Amino acid sequence: MKFLVSSSSLLKQLQNISGVLNGNNSLPILDHFLFEISENQIQVTASDLETTMVTKITVDCKEEGIIAIPAKLLLDTLKSLPDQPLTFTIDTEKKSIEIKSDYGKYKLPGQEGAEFPKTPEVESPAVLAVAGELLYNAIDKTIFASGNDDLRPVMSGVFFQLSKEDLTFVATDAHKLVKYRRTDAKASKTASFIMPKKPLNLLKNILNSSDEEVKIEFNETNASFAFEDTLLICRLIDGKYPNYEAVIPKENPNKLTIERMSLLSSIKRVSIFSSKTTHQVRLKMSGSELQISAEDVDFDNEAKERLKCSFNGEDMEIGFNSRFLIEMLSNLNTEEVNIEMSAPNRAGILTPATGNEDNEQVLMLVMPVMLNS
Amino acid sequence: MKSVLHLDLDSFFVSCERLLDSKLNNRPVLIGGTSDRGVVASCSYEARAFGVHSAMPMKMARQLCPHAVVIRGNSGTYSKFSDIVTDVIKSNSPRFEKSSIDEFYIDTTGMDRFYGTYKWSKELRTQIMKESGLPISFGLSTGKTTAKIGTGEAKPNNFIKIDEGEEKSFLAPLPVRKMPMIGAKTNQKLHLMGIQKIQTIQEMPVELMTRVLGKNGHSIWKKAQGIDNTPITSYHEKKSISIERTFEKDTTDINKLRSILTAMAENLSYQLRNGNKLSGCVSVRVRYSDFITESKQLHIPYTSLDNKLIETVISLFNTLYSRRVLVRLIGVRFSKLVGGNHQINLFDDSEELINLYQALDNIRNRFGQDAVKRVVAMGSKGIGRSSNPFNGQPIVIPAHRRA
Repeated sequence: MKFLVSSSSLLKQLQNISGVLNGNNSLPILDHFLFEISENQIQVTASDLETTMVTKITVDCKEEGIIAIPAKLLLDTLKSLPDQPLTFTIDTEKKSIEIKSDYGKYKLPGQEGAEFPKTPEVESPAVLAVAGELLYNAIDKTIFASGNDDLRPVMSGVFFQLSKEDLTFVATDAHKLVKYRRTDAKASKTASFIMPKKPLNLLKNILNSSDEEVKIEFNETNASFAFEDTLLICRLIDGKYPNYEAVIPKENPNKLTIERMSLLSSIKRVSIFSSKTTHQVRLKMSGSELQISAEDVDFDNEAKERLKCSFNGEDMEIGFNSRFLIEMLSNLNTEEVNIEMSAPNRAGILTPATGNEDNEQVLMLVMPVMLNS
Repeated sequence: MKSVLHLDLDSFFVSCERLLDSKLNNRPVLIGGTSDRGVVASCSYEARAFGVHSAMPMKMARQLCPHAVVIRGNSGTYSKFSDIVTDVIKSNSPRFEKSSIDEFYIDTTGMDRFYGTYKWSKELRTQIMKESGLPISFGLSTGKTTAKIGTGEAKPNNFIKIDEGEEKSFLAPLPVRKMPMIGAKTNQKLHLMGIQKIQTIQEMPVELMTRVLGKNGHSIWKKAQGIDNTPITSYHEKKSISIERTFEKDTTDINKLRSILTAMAENLSYQLRNGNKLSGCVSVRVRYSDFITESKQLHIPYTSLDNKLIETVISLFNTLYSRRVLVRLIGVRFSKLVGGNHQINLFDDSEELINLYQALDNIRNRFGQDAVKRVVAMGSKGIGRSSNPFNGQPIVIPAHRRA
């Protein structure tokens, strides 16, 4: 069996799905791309059993066949070739692949295509279509807040909450939380699921360069995302997402409004002087002044900065992990931010102060550290 | 050339007691645990004449010297006297190290030309004795080891100066046991090799010492030559905090053990919070009546909250305590300490709990750390310490106990 394909277009499609491949697989077949060749089209699949990605490439081909090709070997070859047509000659009996370029010939050992795990089907799914831009932003704004704790798998993903009025995306690691809500997209009925981090990162990377509509299908156990000629299917995280609404404080009488960039760079500077393990900084609000300080008693480091801000409420002092604040402030893109607080032992809530689009709502919550009074 | 002054308060605990009660003067005095398991923490020179020495079981000391006055001692009082001495040294010396409650090293390098180090040291000693009323001895030499051994030789209530170049001949006639680093075990090993005097070590090839005692052998050999470049460190960083307790009578009472462990964990957690520290590693130690000692540790996310730490301690104990044998000692240690405060968890830590801990800590700060306790820990008295463990000072070993 033979087919002819452009090296660069093949590489581009393969790179889109190659993120699925794991470094150390339990099944050797998973280190391969599955090539399913039909007339004038190839369907390539990569999988790690949890997540499967499929892409289609148009080629010049007359025959049909199926084979698994070693992924790393193929990618490395394609990366080092300038754009040119390549001829693939596949011997399905001997499981050998020969690639012919302008420069010479390369031989790869293949694997039986039928051994490749079947791509899971999403049975009796609910369907939803959203703009690529929306999905990209939803992932980008939330994923950094998700956790890494193996003991609490539900928090290692992003919670998709769909309703007839809006779509809400939530991520938390129990120390910080992000809630991203869009009112310009709706679902036909109320539903929710928890997406693992890995497929979301893969989606984010591809969506960055695409503005097509994404078709989402999901049921209790799996979800699929289809757009252009790429399809991603993954297993959902099983479990109940914590009741996050209950822990977002509603009454926050102390409100701070401040320029985002100056706060961010100030915290970045001050945090250099904080403990290297806890990254703790103190914010002290009084009048229209915000004082940011940090110290590392083990090394006798100490830093203190003052910023102008507008503050409504009672004077207070609150401690945070500066890493969380830096991540959150960097993830927002407005000129000014609001930080709403109630007590030193209660969550602080970050929201963009200006330019929050009508159909987009971002709420970031960060838990303080327990300061000695 | 380096110059180091070592100061040591003579039979410190006894001297303090004598200041408080002059009836003790010129009488044999024993200070230490008064129970059957107690050991002598300090004894007067009159008692030493009967063969009593510190770290000896109190029972044996009483047999040797039945007419001695036995005092349980109070480490708080001794700390106060120790602080008086520390203040005098602090205000006079450029750089000093408080290596224990009654010992000080002062770096006097470079002072000779301006003050006359020996004269200055004698004046400092007089001033300390005048201000505290406590007898003190010193050794002045070129390194920590020689200075310390010198003080030991000068005692009681005297001083000595070992000049540069004379260290070797000063050390030579002394028994090896006098050197710091040489304890009972090493002493025995050296004796078996036929080494009695430091002189023998001085004349031995360093390779032989290294082969027998490893790395320590090398440093012992160097110190025996009078070479000791250990710097004076003025700050002791706490790497861990711990409490342990030896029972007067061995026990298998699980509830009592759990109650004591809870009290220990509760107290240590308070110390953590008070010192703005977090711990990332908890360990529990059990010594059975047959002296087999087992310990188990667990790494946890950094915290200083009672409930997390107590839970970890108890679950470690439950897996550790497997032999059905009487328990002699139990202890709790928090290590992997970092500066900081507990990061509040959105779902696990309720606001009420955090506020409760802060309120409890406020009560303890005002009325002492025994003012408020968990009910389970109520029965275990006298667990904990009186001072902040994170002030860079050496550990004060309670007078009625010995590490």
